[in-house]
This record gives sequence, structure tokens and C-alpha cells, in this order.
Amino acid sequence: MTRKAALVVCPGRGTYNREELGYLGLHHAGRCDLFARFDAQRTALGQESVSALDRAETFSVARFTRGDNASALIHACAYADFLSIDREQYEIVAVTGNSMGWYIALACAGALGVDDGFRVVNTMGTLMQETMVGGQLLYPFVDENWQEIPGRRAELMALIDATDGLYRSIDLGGTMVFAGEADALTAAEQALEPSGRFPLRLANHAAFHTPLQEPVAERGRARLSPALFRQPDVSLLDGRGHTWLPGACDLHALFSYTLGTQVTSPYDFTSAVRNGLREFAPDVLLLLGPGRTLGGTVAQILIAEGWRGLRNKQDFLDQQATDPYVLAMGIREQRARVVAPE
Amino acid sequence: MSRTEIVHENFRTRLRAGDLPPVPSGVRIADAGLQPADLVELFGCQVLSRQLDRASAALRARGEAFYTIWSSGHEGMAAVAAAFRPSDMAFLHYRDAAFQIARARQVPGQTPLWDILLSFATSSEDPISGGRHKVLGSRALLIPPQTSTIASHLPKAVGAAYSIGLAKRLRPEHQTLPDDAVVLCSFGDASLNHSTAQGALNAAGWTTFQRVPLPLVFVCEDNGIGISVRTPTGWVEASLSQRPGLTYFRCDGLDAVDTFSTARQVADHVRKRRAPAILHMHCVRLHGHAGADVQEAYMSNAEIETIEAHDPLLNTAAHLVSERVMTPHQVLALYEQIGARVERAAEHVIRRPRLKTAREVMASLVPPPRACPPARRPAPTTRAHVFGPSGLKAMEHPQPMAKLINMALTDLMVAHPEVVIAGEDVGRKGGVYGVTQRLFQRFGPARVIDTLLDEQSILGLAIGLAHNGFVPIPEIQFLAYLHNAEDQLRGEAATLPFFSHGQFTNPMVVRIAGLGYQRGFGGHFHNDNSLAVLRDIPGLVIACPSNGWDAVHMLRESVRLAREEQRVVVFIEPIARYMTRDLHDAGDALWCRRYPAPGPNNPCPPGEVGISGGGTDLAIVTYANGFYLACQAAKILKEEHGIRTRVIDLRWLAPLASDAVLTATAACERVLIVDECRITGSQSEALMALFAERSERSDRPVSRLAGADSFIATGPASGATLPNRDEIVLAALKSIGPRRVKTRAYP
Repeated sequence: MTRKAALVVCPGRGTYNREELGYLGLHHAGRCDLFARFDAQRTALGQESVSALDRAETFSVARFTRGDNASALIHACAYADFLSIDREQYEIVAVTGNSMGWYIALACAGALGVDDGFRVVNTMGTLMQETMVGGQLLYPFVDENWQEIPGRRAELMALIDATDGLYRSIDLGGTMVFAGEADALTAAEQALEPSGRFPLRLANHAAFHTPLQEPVAERGRARLSPALFRQPDVSLLDGRGHTWLPGACDLHALFSYTLGTQVTSPYDFTSAVRNGLREFAPDVLLLLGPGRTLGGTVAQILIAEGWRGLRNKQDFLDQQATDPYVLAMGIREQRARVVAPE
Repeated sequence: MSRTEIVHENFRTRLRAGDLPPVPSGVRIADAGLQPADLVELFGCQVLSRQLDRASAALRARGEAFYTIWSSGHEGMAAVAAAFRPSDMAFLHYRDAAFQIARARQVPGQTPLWDILLSFATSSEDPISGGRHKVLGSRALLIPPQTSTIASHLPKAVGAAYSIGLAKRLRPEHQTLPDDAVVLCSFGDASLNHSTAQGALNAAGWTTFQRVPLPLVFVCEDNGIGISVRTPTGWVEASLSQRPGLTYFRCDGLDAVDTFSTARQVADHVRKRRAPAILHMHCVRLHGHAGADVQEAYMSNAEIETIEAHDPLLNTAAHLVSERVMTPHQVLALYEQIGARVERAAEHVIRRPRLKTAREVMASLVPPPRACPPARRPAPTTRAHVFGPSGLKAMEHPQPMAKLINMALTDLMVAHPEVVIAGEDVGRKGGVYGVTQRLFQRFGPARVIDTLLDEQSILGLAIGLAHNGFVPIPEIQFLAYLHNAEDQLRGEAATLPFFSHGQFTNPMVVRIAGLGYQRGFGGHFHNDNSLAVLRDIPGLVIACPSNGWDAVHMLRESVRLAREEQRVVVFIEPIARYMTRDLHDAGDALWCRRYPAPGPNNPCPPGEVGISGGGTDLAIVTYANGFYLACQAAKILKEEHGIRTRVIDLRWLAPLASDAVLTATAACERVLIVDECRITGSQSEALMALFAERSERSDRPVSRLAGADSFIATGPASGATLPNRDEIVLAALKSIGPRRVKTRAYP
């Protein structure tokens, strides 16, 4: 059987929520050895283990969305999901990710070993939590049909230009993620017309992907070595939409990008996915869990690109109902199509 | 099986068998300054180029691609790209997909696979041409698109390289190239023989011989054949290795490691010394010239197979395997993976939109406007200093056209530091007719450039300067001299916005002294009276003033059009009117005007015409010398025949102010078109068609008087083939008819 060419998309922060509690136990009970390696690192640092977090009785925002906990948990879930993909069915042609999903992507692609991948994620998540500068704010520029509202994105960019300390943090499909210090975010909130739950502040998120993160990047480079990085086995698309090819990577450049550029400059997830579509033309997109929020974002990118003729949300839903192009492992029914049979 | 697929299968078969050629050069990966990963990266670029060639053949066979011209065999250019920076502007040969891919890999976020497929499919989403042509090119990669098959892009590469040093001194407001950039241009061994290549090589040598900085790399991709004609063995080296001022390097383009090593030496040499060099790259042509070319018609199978055995991809694979960077299995897997990516993407690309309507195709004939800061408004003392006392004094009196144009050029150069004048004798001599007098002294040799005697190089210089933010005003000394260089306007300057979807532009104002009536001087070569060669060039603006006052305003508008709207403007100056002072009688000074000071008003905009007189008996529609002569005739018609005329000066020949012409003539009983150019291809043809097709007065007589289809003679018969005042009067009388003529018949 011809395998389907798959582009794998790794999730970012904010994807392990109340509904995901117990994800590791539910989907990856057989990977205790893997989690034990992750837990050992955490325990050595005096941090609560991911296994324990996942087994918790209750979910609390304060505990689970902290950078040091959330990053490690999400990585464990996503990496385990990656290992569960049915390779008989899917040929993984490239991996990308959203925001901290870049670290996960590095591990999935083999540019970081199993332990080193976790080390990078956990270190950076911990540093983010320790530093905790500023925050993030979401605001959409697509309508209810997920079609771009003409001129809206330009208005949001103009707001960034006009507001001291406000930054573009992430290009997230049809949503602009702003970042900045509290004053700048407050000014943005006041300037943006309320629409549903937007503008939406993200709890426990810092001003990721902005110059405010320079201290985090610097400490990350001090704690982590370029020697951790190695040639990936599969292509990677980063937060500029740039492709890193197996065997062809300048590992110092990869280190520098990972613990420098992408920490302190905008993360263009939209370009990452769009360029993945264009340069790898995958037969399917596999979204690693946890969580189910990335599907909408990816769909908005597909619609903006007119990929496979998609023009709006309904087109996407119709396609998903008949011949799904996006399979999210955080959604039970779709997950079943992705994982290898037991 | 096609040769494309034979080469493909050869590669796979030899990799499967581990049958790789010996490493062609003794240069090892590390010796070339490469890391193993760098060579894998280069190999990936080479493979992508090859697989795109295969895809273009397959798509063409399905009717989904329309023009195929291969890069196979030239993949060594990936290594050339790797030795340079993305900020080094590159004017590329059409076989350089590997160069573009390798450069795209230097700039984060590029999608070379997708972009080149879009170009094959002529999708309107093709990021360089918008679906107008299969071209290489990219704004982000500083690769202006070229369609040239004849090295006609080389003169502008010389100009662009020249612009870098100039920009360091003058800082044009739209500077594109960094101070330490170099410029590359590439071409084939057959194109080397073309006059444009020879002219560019000569211009580069001439420039650097005088120690003027010219950071330029000529890459001659020598595959040994031009379509079916073989390049004599050793000819390229013999032709290129001894050029004065040009340092010659040679590499084996079949060996990416040797090519990178040599190209890096070239890059270092040119970047440090700011002097030009030639990189002579040996390569092969694997799949014939282009889609429809069948190599078997002029080459034996044995010859073809010999060439195919030199596949550069096999050599790169040999490097990778022999130095244990990859196994043959890994090499083959990479090759197949990239092929699969291309095949999958091609199925998406062919569903992307394509251009359909004329409107869509033509949307980028005219480039987009660009934001410019306001022109400098120099203090009166500054201006007085530039003009000097005699210059200011001259402004107090009526002056003929040549003087007024000189004053306008001076003010334009004061107002716009990015304006540069270039041409033969424009500097120290001040032009053969003195139009650029004292500009050299006023603005120095950097801004008033005495060029070598080569119109291709002059226009190439202007195009290259414009690529780097200057607003050049090149001068062609006589209209007849334009013709040897006309392709630089027609095929290069005018097409640039069209083929780049308006992303690259080369705004300029080309001043050309032309047209007839020089009273016996010069004959044809100094009195050429045909503008047909310009009139049909899409997007070109043609200005043709009849008098100095108009010329000043039109020149200012021309510079504004170039500077703000990025247009290519040709400004035709009627030589015979340069020093004309009088209109009807000696000393009447009616063809002189005082110099209008610079200001916001533009009384001669495109889309409007000049009108002299308000008569309705007859409209005389004309321009340049014709307007001057028609004004003389109008006086006679009025005073001696009682015929009241209005004389219409077109001023702008392209785009023609059709509506304004129809409006200006609407009230007139008759129309006479007077055109000093040769009747065939002249403006009068367009005007006759205009009146026939669009005039609401279809019964109104429209006649014309135009130059004969002849070259201009020297001596007493110099005007014999041109309309003159008396012929205009006669033509008017004939148009009016005998019953309307109130006074005596004109003799």
C-alpha cells in the first residue's frame, strides 16, 4: 500500500487543559519507560513529574498552565503521539510546530534525542516561568466563516506600530497573537473592538517571541549546548517557514535559531504550515495532541491558501466529514485513523 | 523513453549499483571550505532543479506547462549561488534554476519548489511574473527576471555593478544594493558571441581599466553548444582569458565542490578589489536546448550518451559517497524523496489560477507608483551658486530650447540628487549641441558621466543604475544611434515591470536628439525621422516637445513620471529647434521663452495637448517641428486666405492623448494631420485611425501630410522628403477646397 505523505504539526502552549487531564494514561499507558526518563529529569530538578501531573485528580489552571509544567506535559503528550503514528500508513515528510511546538518538532524530527528534546523543552519552559515577562493577547482577523476580513490584519499591524511595547508574537492562522508588557496589552485591549471572547488574554503566558524574551534566550543558550543538536531524520519547518533538511543542517545555526531568533522574534506559524503545504504537498496533516484547538487554526491557513479548493469553514467541515485532510490526534475519532493498531 | 527520463533512470541505476564516477577534481569537501552538511544542502538544490526539469516535461506533455527550457547539466550553478550572498543582485541565464534554488535556501521562508512550479504552470500566483512567462526571478532573492536568450541582460549588469560605488557616494533614496554587494550575470557559451555580451565585457574592461570600481562577476556557462551549433573547442577560454581588466577563473561545473571552491575565490576577489572577474564554468547540456528541440537531429546517440555520462549529479553523489557523508542508498532516497515532493506539489500547482483576460495580462505593463520624499527645494543662494551669475542672468531673457532644457536639467539635478546624466560627450563637452553644457562643472563626474561610445552600454548603464534607486537620464546622441541598442529599451527596460509583476522597475528618462530639418547638416544619421521603433513598445512614454517652454515642463513631468511612477520615458528633442529663436520673421523671437521657474504647476501634462489658435475652419494636428511649421502656415492661411485654424501640438506621442485630440478638434470643420516622420509607421497612422474610429463627425474630411518613406539626404535636398511650411499651406487649401478660399490662390 502506498503510504500517505504526512506533514506533522506539533502543538504549542495552552493545549493541555481540563479535558486533557489523564492524556498520557489514557493514550500512552504502554510508554511508561519513556515518561520515566522525562520524570527523572524533572525529579532531579525538584520538579513535579509529568506522570504525576497527568495522574492528578483535578485540573487547576494555576498548576497546569505554568510554563514549567505545561511545556513538559505537552511535550510528553505530543512526543508520545508522534511515536504512535502508524508508519505503515503514513510517511512523515516534514514536521513543524506552533511556538513551543518547535521544540517538540525538533525532537520528533530527530534533531534532538529523546532526552535532549525533553531537556530543551523543560529548560525553556522553566526559564519562561522564572522570567515571566509580559503576556499574550489574541484577536482574530477572520470572520465566522474563517475568511479574512479585508483590511483587518493591516489594522492590527497598524495597532502594533502605534502602541509602545506591543509586539506581533505569533501569526496563528486567522488570529493575531499580540505580546507585550501589561500596559501595552491593556492599551491594545482598549483599542480593539470586543468581539465574542476577544480580545483574549492568555493566562500564564509571557510575551513569547518578542525582544522581551532576550534574557530567557540568553539563559537558555547558557544552559543548553549546541552539542545537543544533530542532523534531523526528517525535514523541519520553523517559525519563519524555513525548511531544515535532513543531513543538510548547519547545527550551530539550528542552535542559534532555536535558542535565539525564534525566542525573541515573531513566530510565523502560518508560514510554517503554508510552506509545508507548498514545499511538501502532503496527502494529510497530522496534528499531534494534546488538545483540539490547533485544527481550526490550521483550517484557517488552508482556507487562506485555497488548498484543495477550500474557501470557507463549511468547505472545511464538509471535507472533514467525507475525506478528512486534517487529523487531530487530540480528537478521539480522528486519532483512531492515525495510530498504529495495538 | 525521453532523454529526460533516460538521464533520470541512468542516475537511479548507477546509484543502485553503486556505480559512481571517480571524483572529478582533487578538491575534497573540506578543502573547498565546505562542511559535509553544506554539500548535502547543495546536492539537494541540484536534485530539486533536476526534478523540476522532469516535472516541466511531464506537465508540458499533459498541456499543463507551456514552455520548457532545461537546467539539467548546469546544476553546478547551485555551488556558485552558495559562494555569494542573497544581497548580490543576479541577472541569470535561463538555465540557472539551481542557482535560484540555492539562493532561496539562503533566505528563510522561501518556497523555491512551489514557486518554480507555479512559473511552469503560468499560474497567476507565480510570485515573479504573475503568470506571464516562465522566468527565473525573485524580488526577495534580488534576481530580476530575464527572458533573454542573447545575453541582452549583460549591459545592465554592468550598470548595476557601476551603481554600487556611485550609490555609496550619492545615496539614492531607493537604494537597493548594499555597499559591499557584487553583481552577477550569467550566460551561455553561444551567447558570449552576441554583441551585447561583447559590449558588456568591453564596457566592464573599459571601466575598470580606469580604476573605476566595478564589482561584477560574469559567469559563462560553457556547455559547448548553442542549440545545434557547437562552440569551437577552446574558443570560450581564448575569448575570455585575456580581457583587459577582467580576471579570468575557470571551474568544472560538473563538480560542485570545485565550482564552490573557485566561485568563492571569485567572490572574494571581486568583493575585495571591486573589480570585475569572469568565471568560466564548464558544464553539459543534458536534455537538448528546449522543449521542442530534438537533439538526435544534429547529434549522434553516442555523442548524446557521452554527454549524459557526465551528469553533474553523479559527481556530487560521488563526492558524498567517497567521503562517507552519505551512502548510495541515502543519496538515492534523497533523490526519490525530492522527486516525490515535486510530483505531489505539481498536482496542486496545476489547479492554481491562471491569467485569462487581456486586462489581467496587461496589469503590470505600467509599474506601480512608489513613495518618494518631496523634492529638495534649495535655498535661493544654493541655486544661485549652482547656476552662477551668468546662468541666472540668462533666465531674465527669452532663450531657445537647448538653453531652456539645460536650465531644467540643472534644476532637476539640484532637486533630485538621485538624477544622473550619462551619455557620449555629455560631460566635459556639454553635448554635441550644448544641451548639457556646464552640468559636468556644476555636478561633477559622478553625476554627469561621459560614457564610452556604445549605446547598448549607455542604456544598460541606465537600467542598472535604476535597479539601484537612481533616476538616470541617459542621452542617445542621435535618434539613428538608438537603433543598434533599441533592444535595451524594447526587450529589457520596458519588459521589466511586465515580467516581474511590477516588483522590479527601471525608471529613467532617455533623452534623444532627433528628427530632421537641420538645413543640410548630417543627412540621415543626424536627422532620422522615424519614431516607429518606439511607438509600439507597451508601457513606454514618449515625450516630444516642439518648443523650449513646453520642453521644460515636459522634462520635469518626465522625471516625475520616472521618479514617482517608475516609468520609462523617452524624451525626443527636435534638434532643429534647439537654437531656433524666431517663428515668422527674423528677430521676432517668438520661439524663445523665459525660463519658467520650478513650481508645482504642470501646464503640459500627459493626456492634454497644446493648442495654438481658436479657428474652426481647420484643425492641424501635429507635433515637434511640424507644430513649428504649422504655426508659420497658420499665419499665412489666416492673413492671405482668411482661413482660421487651430494648431494642435500632441506633445506626448505615447500614450496618445486621444480624448484631448478629439475634444480639441471637435469644433473644426476639417482636420489636417502633419507628421514629419516617415509616413509608414508614423504617428499619422494612429491619428487617421483615431479620427476614423472615434470621431463623432464621420463625414468630416481628414487628410494628412507626412514625410516620405525615404532616408534624409545631406545638402540642399535635406528637406525634400519632409513636410514644409508651404506644403502645409497647400494641403490646408486643398482640404478647404477652392470655393472656401477667400483670397488669391497660393502659388
